[in-house]
Amino acid sequence: MSIEEGVKFVASAYAIILAVLMIYYFMSARRVRALQRDVQLLEDEAKRRQGPAGGAGAE
Amino acid sequence: MSGWAQFKAILRKDLIRELRTRDMLVSMILFVLLAMVIFHYAFTVKEGADLTYFTGGMLWVTFIFAMLLGLNRSFAQEKDEHCLDGLLLCPVDRVTIFFAKTAGNLIFLLIVQAVAVPVFTLFFIERSYAGDVLPFLVVLLLADVGICALGTLLATISMNTRSRDLLLPILFLPLIVPVLIAATGATTLIFAEGAGFADLVARLLFLLGFDAVFLVAAWGTYDFAIGE
Amino acid sequence: MKKLVSAPALFAEAGICLIVGLLLGFWWAPVDASSLGFSQKIFYYHAPIAETALVAFGVAFVAAIAYLRTGRLTWDRLSYVSVRLGLLFSILVMLTGMIWGKAAWDTWWAWEPRLTTFLLVCFLYAAYWVLRSVVDEEQHRATYAAVFAIIAFIDVPITFFATRFLPEGLHPVVITTGDTGMEGSMLVSFLISMLGMTLLLAALTRRDLAIEKLKDRVADLKSTIGG
Repeated sequence: MSIEEGVKFVASAYAIILAVLMIYYFMSARRVRALQRDVQLLEDEAKRRQGPAGGAGAE
Repeated sequence: MSGWAQFKAILRKDLIRELRTRDMLVSMILFVLLAMVIFHYAFTVKEGADLTYFTGGMLWVTFIFAMLLGLNRSFAQEKDEHCLDGLLLCPVDRVTIFFAKTAGNLIFLLIVQAVAVPVFTLFFIERSYAGDVLPFLVVLLLADVGICALGTLLATISMNTRSRDLLLPILFLPLIVPVLIAATGATTLIFAEGAGFADLVARLLFLLGFDAVFLVAAWGTYDFAIGE
Repeated sequence: MKKLVSAPALFAEAGICLIVGLLLGFWWAPVDASSLGFSQKIFYYHAPIAETALVAFGVAFVAAIAYLRTGRLTWDRLSYVSVRLGLLFSILVMLTGMIWGKAAWDTWWAWEPRLTTFLLVCFLYAAYWVLRSVVDEEQHRATYAAVFAIIAFIDVPITFFATRFLPEGLHPVVITTGDTGMEGSMLVSFLISMLGMTLLLAALTRRDLAIEKLKDRVADLKSTIGG
């Protein structure tokens, strides 16, 4: 096996490692953004519901 | 009631129940015999194909799947009839339940094997095998203990989930592979090459170790597996 | 609270170690003298990924025991996250192992001990996931998953030894780090990459745990509003 052929295999191995890790990271980043948006929406909704109830609402 | 008395009581209950209905045993035995016939048709493509080195594999694959069938059956029955709930209401040590159930399953498996092995040798083994019985029995027993211990633990868990029958094989098969490897290798060596204890030491010790490790592990975790 | 606790420091440290290890491995360490030749360079990440996967499963094992003893769901979250990361790394081990196998022996698959062990490990922990998905109640799910995580981890070294019983076939066992006595430069590059991978695992674990906490917060908020 010549050096050139060896390089192709080695490069593809490292490329796969990088690709898989990056895909994993970015997919979870998307989930994080969605979750943060949900948290924001839900917190706003919770505040809104407590507002009109004026202290009578449950904590 | 002492632990030993409890163990005997639970074991007796399971044995009597099964011997009365014979549901599980009959199904397992039929399955095993059918599997052998199917193996013949599956592997004999060429005239006079030599299956000598497949003997261990065929035997143990069959036993493992038969055990899965049996476990599904017996635990499903327990759950539907709420036997386990009743048992849990008594002041029984959970671990005693585990050992009693494992022992019961072991006895059933041995009964099935007692029928299956002679038929298997009739179908597949050419050479005389009188001298090989003792090593084979030891392999059988050691592997069976591992299969029954793991199977009982996992069946207890899977019976309480949504997809009971389907889950058990998925949990069980990856875990049992080491036993499969060792038992198959030993059995094939016995049937194909007439190996004696000397040749099988490594595998036998391995099976022994496997049994010890997982019996202890099951003993430690069964409390949690069986739930409140 | 909105800010994600992502421990960027961990990622940075991991990145530095990994890059340094890579550069050293390629430009300082010599090309392997055996038949593996240049393809041996895959080893500098392949082996650390393998060890890191096992570390992840070990963390899951310890967390599972902790959950069973304390009943605190945080331990279950840690166990779950670790198994997922371990599975990710295990898949990477298999992929890089297969590429290396193609480079070294001109075949994509060989039933040799390490590839086989990791294949089984993948199935084992995939079963963990299936188990989690069929139990609806949270505490039960955590309990059963913990029991299985413990049993599974015990099975990993056992499986590894069992595969050694199998006939070796045409393919020699890939270099084991002890036997070949890696020379200094190779060893140093390898160790630095190892450190990097482990730090990467720590960083990802931290991040994933934080994500789980976010999910819990969403569920909490939903139930307060709905209730």
